[in-house]
Amino acid sequence: MSSLPEEELTAVYHLNDIININMTYSFPLEITFNILAAVLFLIYWGLTFIILYHLTRFGIGVQPKRFAAIFLLGSVVVSGAAIILFMNIDINSIIPK
Amino acid sequence: MIKKLIEIFRDSPNSFDGQEKDEIVLLLLRRHVFTILVPLALFILACLLPIITGVMFYSYLSAQGLVNLFFFVSSIWYLGIWLAIFYALTIYTLDTVIITDHRIIDNDQRGLFYRNVSELHSHRIQDVSTRTNGVIETFLNFGDVTVQTAGSEKQFVFHQMPEPVKVKDIIMQTAATRDSGVKAL
Repeated sequence: MSSLPEEELTAVYHLNDIININMTYSFPLEITFNILAAVLFLIYWGLTFIILYHLTRFGIGVQPKRFAAIFLLGSVVVSGAAIILFMNIDINSIIPK
Repeated sequence: MIKKLIEIFRDSPNSFDGQEKDEIVLLLLRRHVFTILVPLALFILACLLPIITGVMFYSYLSAQGLVNLFFFVSSIWYLGIWLAIFYALTIYTLDTVIITDHRIIDNDQRGLFYRNVSELHSHRIQDVSTRTNGVIETFLNFGDVTVQTAGSEKQFVFHQMPEPVKVKDIIMQTAATRDSGVKAL
């Protein structure tokens, strides 16, 4: 039997619940979200490499080289913007409690 | 160094894999620009989707605190569109017909990993015909060029080529000079 009064015990249980929610739900979900974003970026840059390789390796004349340069520049800009926007997300505010 | 790098984007030779030493590229052909403009227009329309969604649901997203998530998802959408645009442009750019003074090479690019290369030597060319079908092809001056080879071999059809009559003339001229033994150009 605990020697603490009932009110204090309720507060301890409540704190315990909060800790459990944060540790068991929020933490793995945040990691999952980060891993998903990383995988997405890896797939994007993998495909970007394949397209750039095709344009520079098999392209004949000036046009493919120009396309490759524009594509690379645009990819850096758009994925940079996506990374910044990803960093702005507060995943804890999205997760339903 | 930088000047040399910039020159690549200004003046790259029309050389290709397997080109012979004395072989001159007379024409490098791609499908008419109109054929790529249609998918590009669709991609541009797809670019408007996050903007329209954002305008329509901004107050809801703002109330739910999902604005940052929405911007991130939109950026992923734009990454996808950027990739799709250049996938289409890559297929369009690599799908070429090369006419040299020795032969005709048809690079039929259907996917990044699906490529069909056919070759036809000038002395095997029997006749060349062009086909322009429809209002758009007539006004924009593009169409199919069909090259008939000797014997019962297959036909070579180059689809949606710009200025098909000019292409036909150059192919015929190449075949004629090859037969007569006089070097073209």
